[in-house]
Amino acid sequence: MTTLNKNKRHTLSRRTVMKGAGAAAGLAATGVYAPFVHAQTKTIRFLNGEPSRESVRAMRFAAAQYEKEKGIKVQMDTVPAGKAYERVQASIKGGRPYDIATLIFVGDVLILADEGKLAPINDIIRKYDWGPKILFPVNGDNYWYPYDYNLCWINFRQDLYTAQGLSQPTDWDSMKANLAALQGSGENQLPHGIVHPIGSNGATNYTAFGYMWANGVQLFDDDWNIVLDSADIAPRVSEYLDFMAGLTDYMPPAPVQAGWPNLVGDFQTDKISHTPGTGRLIDTMNVRMPDRAANVGSFLYPSMRGDKFAVNHGYDGWVVLDTAMTDEAIKFLEWFSDEHLINFLHTSPVHYQPTRLDIYEDPRWLAHPDLETFSHIIAMQKQVLFDENVIIRSIDTEGPAPDVRAGKIFRSYALPEMLQNKILNNMSNDECVKIAAEKMRETIKA
Amino acid sequence: MRGERALYLILGVAFALTALLILYPAYHALELSFQRLDSFVSEPEWVGFQNYRTVLATPEFWAAFGRGLVFAGVTILLQVVLGIGFAMLLDARIPLKPLVRGLAVLPYLLPTVIVALTFQWMLDPTVGVITQGVRLMGYEYIPWGENSTVAMAMVIALSVWIWTPFVTLAFLAGLQSVPGELYEAARVDGATGLQRFWHITLPQLRPVLTVVILLRAIWMFNKFDIIWLTTRGGPLNGTEHLPVLAYRKTFELYQVGEGAAVSAISFLILSAVIFIYFYVFPLDEKEQ
Repeated sequence: MTTLNKNKRHTLSRRTVMKGAGAAAGLAATGVYAPFVHAQTKTIRFLNGEPSRESVRAMRFAAAQYEKEKGIKVQMDTVPAGKAYERVQASIKGGRPYDIATLIFVGDVLILADEGKLAPINDIIRKYDWGPKILFPVNGDNYWYPYDYNLCWINFRQDLYTAQGLSQPTDWDSMKANLAALQGSGENQLPHGIVHPIGSNGATNYTAFGYMWANGVQLFDDDWNIVLDSADIAPRVSEYLDFMAGLTDYMPPAPVQAGWPNLVGDFQTDKISHTPGTGRLIDTMNVRMPDRAANVGSFLYPSMRGDKFAVNHGYDGWVVLDTAMTDEAIKFLEWFSDEHLINFLHTSPVHYQPTRLDIYEDPRWLAHPDLETFSHIIAMQKQVLFDENVIIRSIDTEGPAPDVRAGKIFRSYALPEMLQNKILNNMSNDECVKIAAEKMRETIKA
Repeated sequence: MRGERALYLILGVAFALTALLILYPAYHALELSFQRLDSFVSEPEWVGFQNYRTVLATPEFWAAFGRGLVFAGVTILLQVVLGIGFAMLLDARIPLKPLVRGLAVLPYLLPTVIVALTFQWMLDPTVGVITQGVRLMGYEYIPWGENSTVAMAMVIALSVWIWTPFVTLAFLAGLQSVPGELYEAARVDGATGLQRFWHITLPQLRPVLTVVILLRAIWMFNKFDIIWLTTRGGPLNGTEHLPVLAYRKTFELYQVGEGAAVSAISFLILSAVIFIYFYVFPLDEKEQ
C-alpha cells in the first residue's frame, strides 16, 4: 500500500496506477451485479415508437404520473417506429429486453410471439370492445394492444372541388374526371392531380393498393395459396393495373422516385390536388396552416364500378415482453390504457383513430376541439368500421389468419414491382400479374 | 524487459479489441449462415450448407453479384483515371494551389448521407435543380429513378464524385516522390508528354496504384450506404448488389441465415480476389 512519507519523495508509479485501476474495475464489475442495486427501484423499460414531440411529451407525462402514483419508474426510450423491431431484437440479444415496446408490423409480433418472447395480455384485451380487423390473436392469445388504425385513404382539396362544382368520386371514372378537371394552369387548378409512389418501398405498399382492395382483389385463399393470378382475381388486378397506368397522366413525373415527403409536401405546396394518406396530414397542416387544413376533404379508395370502397390498413400497437418485469409492465399498460391513452391519442387527434369502440363514446376523447373541426373525417373513420361495403385490407394482414407469410410478401415488394413492370416496362397485364404471383410463391416458400 | 512487457500489453489490447469487434462478429455471422432462423431472437436450427445451396441456386444472387461487379469495376476505373488526372493537375504550377487542393478534397469530407439526400433533391423530378436545369436547356427530365441503367449510372457517378478525392490525394502524394531528374532526362531525350506519363509517371506510381485499387475494390464491392440511401436497390432491383441483397434478406424477409450466407459468400469472393491480386501484384517487390 502506498503511504505518504515526509522523508521519502513520493512518486506515483505506473504499477500503482495499474493496481488502482484494476481494483476500481473489479469493484465496479461486482458492484453492477450487487443485488441491492436492483432492489432499489423497479423500472419498466418502454420502447416508444412515436417520436413526434407531442407524443413523446404525453408518454413521458404518463410515465412521471405512474411513478408518482405507484412508485415504479417507467423509462421511456423513443425511436422511429420503423426501427423499433431491430431495437427490440437487440435488447433481447443483449440480455436486457424492453418490457413494453411499440411494433408496427404484425409479422414482427408473430415472430416474437412464436419465439416465446412476448407475454399474453388477454385480460386487458377482454376488458374492451374492439373495432374490426385490429386484433391479431395467435392461437387464441392476444399479444398485441393496438392503439390506432392508421388507415390510408385519399385526401383532396375541398375548396377546389367546391369552386369547380365537383362531388366526391364514387368510382374510377369519376375519380379520373375530377383529376382531369383540377389539373392545369387555369383558375382553381393545380399542376398535377395526385401522387402514388410506385417504387419498391413501404410508401407504395401502404398507399398504392387501396383501389385494388376495393376492386375485390385478395392475395391468398383460405389454404394460403396465392390467388393473385387465379381466373377469378387476375381480371380484377388487370383492371387495377390499367387504372394505375392511366393515373400516371395526373401524377408528377417519376412516381417511382416519390416517397413520404412527396405525399405530404406536394399536397401542401399546391402541386397536387389529391394525395393518399392518413389523418397525420391534416393534423400536421392544422398546426401550421389551419385554414388550409380545414379545406381538406377525404374519401375512401373506390372500386372500378363504385360498388365497394377500401382503406389500406396501417395499425400501430404495443407488446409486453416476457421479462422479469412482465407483471408490472402489464399493470402499467392497463393503467395507461384507462388513464392516459386518450391523452396520447389527442397528440394527433385525427391521425390516431381509436381501435377501441368505447373511446368513440368517451366524453374525454370527444372533448378535443379538433374532433369537431374535422367531424367529416371522423365520420368517415367511423363509417370504415361499421359499413359492410368498406374493405379494410393491407398486404401484410392478408390471408385467412394473421401470419408471417403476408409480412414476407409485404417486404418482398412483389406488388410494387408489378406496378413498375406495368408503368415503367410497359409489360402486358398478364405478364405483370404472373411475375408478381410467382415471386410471391417463391417468397412464402422460402 | 519492461519494453517487451509494454509491447505484449499493447499487442494484447489490440488483439482483444480485434477479437471483440471484428473476429467475434465475423464468427457469429458465419455461424448464422449455417442456421435457419427468422429473426435474431429465433431459436436457430442447424442446416449445414443448405442456405448456401439455396442462395447460390437463385438468379437474384447472381444478378446482384453481376451488378456488384459492374458497380465496383466502373467506379474504380473512373476513380483511378480521374484521380491520376486530378493529381497531375494539382501537382502542376497553378495559381492558389493550396486552396484548389483543399477544395478538391471537399467531397470526401462530406458525410455520405448528406451527399445522398442532397443529390436526391437535386434530381427530384418536380423541383430538383438538375431537373429544372435540364428542362431549361430544352431536354426532358432525367429518368434516373425509373430506368435501371440510368439509376446504376447515377449511383456510379455519385460514388465517383465522393471518393475520387481520396484517390487523387494518394496519387498526389505518390507524385511528390517521383524524382524530377527523370523528367529532365526524358525531355532531353525528346520524350513527349504522353511518353513521359507512360514511361515515368505511371511506373513510379505503381506501388500507390496497387494499394489504391486494392482499397477501392474492397470498399466499393462492400459499399452499402450510397446505394441504400439513394435507390434502395431499385428500380426493379436494378441497383441491388450483394450487400443490399444480404440486408434485405436479413432485415426485411425474415431470412437471417440466407442473408448471412450471402455475406459470407461475398466475403469469400472478395478474399479470393485479394489473394490473387497480391499474387499478381506483390507489394514487396523491393525485397525480391
